[in-house]
Amino acid sequence: MPIERQENLLRMKVNGRAVEVQVDPTWTLLRVLREKLGLTGTKKGCEQGDCGACTILLEGKAVNACLVMALQAEGKEIETIEGLGTPDRLHPLQKSFIRHGAVQCGFCTPGMLMSAVALLRKNSDPSAEEIKRSISGNLCRCTGYAKIVRAIQNVSDFQEERGHATGD
Amino acid sequence: MQKFQFYTPRSVDDALAFLSHNAEQTKIIAGGTDLIPSLRQEDLQPAFVLNILEIGALRGITEQDHRIRIRPTTTFTEMVESPVLNRHFPSLVQAAAFVGGPQIRNRGTIGGNIGTASPAADVLPAVLALDGELELQSKRSGTRYIPLSRAIAAPYKPLFQPDEILTGIILPKLNPEARSTFVKVGRRNAMARARMNLAVVLGMNREKVITEMRIVPGAVMPVARRMERAEGALLGKKPEPPVVDAAAEALAKEMVEVTGTRWSTEYKFHVLQNLFKGVLGRLTA
Repeated sequence: MPIERQENLLRMKVNGRAVEVQVDPTWTLLRVLREKLGLTGTKKGCEQGDCGACTILLEGKAVNACLVMALQAEGKEIETIEGLGTPDRLHPLQKSFIRHGAVQCGFCTPGMLMSAVALLRKNSDPSAEEIKRSISGNLCRCTGYAKIVRAIQNVSDFQEERGHATGD
Repeated sequence: MQKFQFYTPRSVDDALAFLSHNAEQTKIIAGGTDLIPSLRQEDLQPAFVLNILEIGALRGITEQDHRIRIRPTTTFTEMVESPVLNRHFPSLVQAAAFVGGPQIRNRGTIGGNIGTASPAADVLPAVLALDGELELQSKRSGTRYIPLSRAIAAPYKPLFQPDEILTGIILPKLNPEARSTFVKVGRRNAMARARMNLAVVLGMNREKVITEMRIVPGAVMPVARRMERAEGALLGKKPEPPVVDAAAEALAKEMVEVTGTRWSTEYKFHVLQNLFKGVLGRLTA
């Protein structure tokens, strides 16, 4: 059904690269990331800010992408899970999650990692309590959280690994 | 389906000019943590959404001699991290610190908490207990001031004109002998709507006589307000257990007078008293 839609130009930086895209002004940043930019690492969970599956960094702060209107990202710097690491070059946090068994279905994981990145940038040696508070906006239905907390805590003293058993 | 246009003014004047033409069809967005879910559910279908997050003059905290001014798009995180608020209004910091979770606090704003006027709001009762005053501006009528205590008519109904923007929340500094605190009861430690919260300001002189007593329970009445009968039961007295107990009971009874007996009353009647006694014990220690 053809609906007359206004589109606005959105210019932002995503994972260090300048992006220009026409967007429907009624869209959220989550929808633009996933459907216009193909960055589907950021997950769509509740779409109302309750689950944290869509957590990204906006100007370095962890936010729910489902609660940012696309055009509110104009001129801003966005970091998504795709910018954290790649299958060929995992970020130390990602390696720590794998090593600690902190990933089961994986759906909460991108959001958990982005919340953890926000924390570790401000506090490189957080206590378990500080970690729990930093992920208190991220729900996980699989792991029971303990291994996630451990994975974040133990990356604090992460040393560069070579020849690890997983072959990364 | 939503069909709105989205505008981002760069100054208060721009925003007010826009509203002077389009107020009735416009929703203002700041952090969006309340508005965006409403838009998704199509509770409302505005023609325009006005994004006020890029107006520098609407953000930040300023300390003056006798007052502190918080601008409306200051986020909960910014409030928690503010040295000025931590020094002068711990209750406000505590209220902001337990809204939602980190992601919500990085976007949600004090202006939004007041403007949404949910009965379960956390920051709103703390501002009430601190005698907060609102500054509102419109192109039509200029600037006006209204105490927060007179600014909310009913749940979700702040007395703002459609063409007005909240431009400031003004809080008088407390007397040196007064302290503020805030507690919240929720079903979880985080991401929880308040089942009950309580903002209190207490001041005692050197003889331990109470000289300042402000009590605002939240999430227990349609609109939060000062509980004057309970306050009167403590003002001018020393906070000894029988006096505190009587005031706590008066507080709970005053709540029931407003709400009538509801399914939650049996719980809230007792818990409010215990919360109050706990808070008073800590403040008078």
